[in-house]
Amino acid sequence: MSFARLQHGGPLRQTVVAAGLGLFVLWSAGPVLWLILSSLLQQKALIAQPPDLGLRNFTLENFSTVIGAAASLGRGILNSLIVSVFSTALALTLGAPAAYALARLPVPRANAIAFLILATQMLPGIAIAIPLFIVISKLGLIDNVLSLGIVYLSFNLPIVIWILRGFFLGIPAGIEKAAAIDGAGIFATFWHIILPISLPPLSAAAVFAFVEAWNEFFFALILTRQQAQTVPLVIANFAGQYQTVFGQMMAAAVISIAPVIALAVLFRNQIIRGFADGMMKG
Amino acid sequence: MITTFEQGRRRTGLFFVAPALMVLAAILFYPIADSILLALQRVQLAGGAVTQEWIGLANFQRLFADAVFWKAALNTAYFSIAEVVLVTLISLGVALLLNHPMGRSGLFRILLIIPWAIAPVANAVLWKWILNANYGVLNGILKSLGAIESYQVWLGTPFSALNFLLAVDVWKSVPFVALLMLAGLQRVPQALYRAAYMDGAGPWQSFLHVTLPTMRGVFAIAIVLQTIWSLRVFDLVFVLTRGGPADATVLLNFLAYRVTFNFLDLGYGSAIANVIFALTFVLAALYVWLLWPREPKGAR
Amino acid sequence: MVHSFNRRHFLQTGALAGAMATMPGFLNRPAQAQAAALNVFSPLPPDPAPPGAAKFSEEAFAKWQADNGVSVAYETLAWPQLHDRMATAFASGAAPWDITYNCGWVPEFQSFLTPYADNLPKALVDDLPPTSFATTTVDGKRYGAVFTLSLLTLFYNKELMEQAGFKEAPKTWDEFKACAKEMTRDGRYGFVLNYGDPAGIGGTASYWMTFLQQAGGKVYGEDGLPVFKSDEGVAALQMMVDLMPSTDPGSISYAGINDATNVLLAGRAGMMMNWPFMWNAANDPKQSQIVGKLTSSVLPAGPKGSASIDGTDAWTITKASKNQEKAQKLIEFYLDAEVQKRQVLDTGWLPIRLSVLADPEVQAKAPNAAVVLEQAKHPYDSFVTADYNQVTVAIGTEVQKALQGGKTATQAIADAQDAVTAIVKRRG
Repeated sequence: MSFARLQHGGPLRQTVVAAGLGLFVLWSAGPVLWLILSSLLQQKALIAQPPDLGLRNFTLENFSTVIGAAASLGRGILNSLIVSVFSTALALTLGAPAAYALARLPVPRANAIAFLILATQMLPGIAIAIPLFIVISKLGLIDNVLSLGIVYLSFNLPIVIWILRGFFLGIPAGIEKAAAIDGAGIFATFWHIILPISLPPLSAAAVFAFVEAWNEFFFALILTRQQAQTVPLVIANFAGQYQTVFGQMMAAAVISIAPVIALAVLFRNQIIRGFADGMMKG
Repeated sequence: MITTFEQGRRRTGLFFVAPALMVLAAILFYPIADSILLALQRVQLAGGAVTQEWIGLANFQRLFADAVFWKAALNTAYFSIAEVVLVTLISLGVALLLNHPMGRSGLFRILLIIPWAIAPVANAVLWKWILNANYGVLNGILKSLGAIESYQVWLGTPFSALNFLLAVDVWKSVPFVALLMLAGLQRVPQALYRAAYMDGAGPWQSFLHVTLPTMRGVFAIAIVLQTIWSLRVFDLVFVLTRGGPADATVLLNFLAYRVTFNFLDLGYGSAIANVIFALTFVLAALYVWLLWPREPKGAR
Repeated sequence: MVHSFNRRHFLQTGALAGAMATMPGFLNRPAQAQAAALNVFSPLPPDPAPPGAAKFSEEAFAKWQADNGVSVAYETLAWPQLHDRMATAFASGAAPWDITYNCGWVPEFQSFLTPYADNLPKALVDDLPPTSFATTTVDGKRYGAVFTLSLLTLFYNKELMEQAGFKEAPKTWDEFKACAKEMTRDGRYGFVLNYGDPAGIGGTASYWMTFLQQAGGKVYGEDGLPVFKSDEGVAALQMMVDLMPSTDPGSISYAGINDATNVLLAGRAGMMMNWPFMWNAANDPKQSQIVGKLTSSVLPAGPKGSASIDGTDAWTITKASKNQEKAQKLIEFYLDAEVQKRQVLDTGWLPIRLSVLADPEVQAKAPNAAVVLEQAKHPYDSFVTADYNQVTVAIGTEVQKALQGGKTATQAIADAQDAVTAIVKRRG
């Protein structure tokens, strides 16, 4: 068997892979297809048994209604963008040096500190919501996109640190030694040598932080009122007590996925490479 | 003996770490401390008078005698273990598929990310409608394919409801873990595969002896993170079943929410949340100790 | 220096006084700095919402704000999240609203609300059904005013009912069971209801309370302890269990009323209990396949007659509000006859004022108004207490077990009573 054959596999393996890929497409895309279809159908067609996919039921009404009530969805998207970008930028700025220090510098009890940082994730948001609300409202920062971005650090920062720490642990020791011989201090090494080669994992961490901030619901519910409503809240507003216009909610969801998908398409290569390099060596 | 060079590096290290630690402490210290303290109090918010009194461990005693708590704990244990196993296996499969030459297209990677990108409430409502017993599209498709006789109430029985919740959460969780694993796969050096090939290894053996051991770190991170996240599932339970039917799908996090926000029993709710905290801590520590690859660290 | 009262001073002072006197209302209005601001926390339409948040009476609303020197800001949120945000705000002591919507949570949030409804003008109070204050009265004081008459009534598909051989709606429990049974055929069911969520008004427990009152029972005794472990309690649950063969099997999984409503609107169920709002939805061609076929009637009578529960959508004023009087005036505006009329004509939410309910224009637009009025002649206690959420979860879970055949009705009621007793005792 040639090495290439080992990699590609014979006809049997290729069939299995093809079938597997087909299943994967169905599994990933199926529900999303339904999401898109529902946003284009009238409510009446959606409650038929089975849902009525006749052409006359398709309509752009859901989208026009959602866009027409543009104020809240538009503001929601803007708020979400601000919160997510701000939170991601902060997470990277604070997290990259911390990850580097925990990976490469002789910080005492670095492993324990790293685990402690992870441990902050382990208390459910439910428990800290009310005390957090008390603190934020005493500071007068309720309904503020920037303060929401900072609160989001509470779950973005630890994961960013763990992803980046993994990567930094895998850098060969020689790089820093070479920089030291050239007279570079630690910060200069970090800034000029380490960071530039870390762009892929930084991108991966950035995408992760962005998506998590974009999709966060519970803290957004508790810590905002009218001005700083983010996209998940606006979408949830379509589910009332007495009525849920499903098509409109799906239209809003389609509109709000767009920025995330755009980011994913732009950074798709970085994401994979970034996660690759962000793994523990071994 | 530590040299001044070392001391300098240590000091810089602390400077680098300090801002992140301070920010986390500033945001989380008071809420976490308050939550632990609340668990030792009896707080009455609802009704005439608002009171707060210390009762020591009484909340925890009540917890351990509460049938609903144990039911939730059992549900959560099953849910969490099953989710971690399923997500790990499925993600590995997906990663292997996308790593194969046939799966290299960027389209697959974008498809992978989409479930992750859907807003949580929209995702939950979408699945609620897909799984609806009367007009859900899953029922519609299965019936027209002849796979089922009549429409099923997927969320109607305890067993079925819990497992469908599991399926939906797995669906949402696979993207991130699959990305991790795909990255891990792509980092396995080709040289190792060639060496195995030279030694006469077939595809299965090379998978077992080259791929899996190299991915040990990835598995560790994936399992730890998935465990933490699976114990915090909330949106799906709230939208799809509200914990029903008859408390069959009440998970610990949902129970904490119900007690804190619906019953306004803040002390008891905090106690439940702290149990989740302790459980997660112990499990994560265990996994890290068991699974973390033993290897020399990078230069310090 | 000597202050000489010379002509110049006199003219200046006089001019100043004259100018001030011409300022509107200077002499006859109490000192007021500038426009007061009121903050109102309300659900989003199509759930019940006030003018300004929902599209009705907007001109009148703008005029009211101008006349009263008040600017009203709405904070709106999806209904399922209202309680969470209110609970957090009250728990932290920082409730920023003057007026909030309330649905069965008045006893729960009593310590944060003002009993303003005792001070409403007599003319207004006389025009409201007296029992409409039942769910907002705690310790004899009235904390809120219900603004829409929302009681559960029976809604049914006229066409399906006639096909099953019934000319009019069932009037008793036996007729109800027979009718549901006859309507169950061809993949359709006679009855559908959302049994998925045990909690709150509109949850499983509250539906059982409807049947409980129809059987002549009640939830609490004089001492506040539960007394429903009785023939009436069991009979009520048994009635629901007996209806199960004719009930859409998905009912146990429907967590919201709109899930069940959709089944009826698709023509695959014959009857359901629903709130008056359903009328509009059923006649909307974009959502409903049974336009024009929906009729409503009073709920079938049990051993002791018909009964229902109150949806209790009310306005309350927070204790922390700095504009108590203005807030009360705003609520009186919401309850104004003309505003109430536009409420029903434009948004479909029935008025609470008896005079508006009797208006022929209203009756023409909302034929179910007469039915709801008729239903209001029978008991409609929602049994709200400070522990309402916890109690309904406890009772509702047991009801769900009985409906699924996991327990007998007797056992379920007994267990429910034990659970509720523990809850009440824990409050002390």
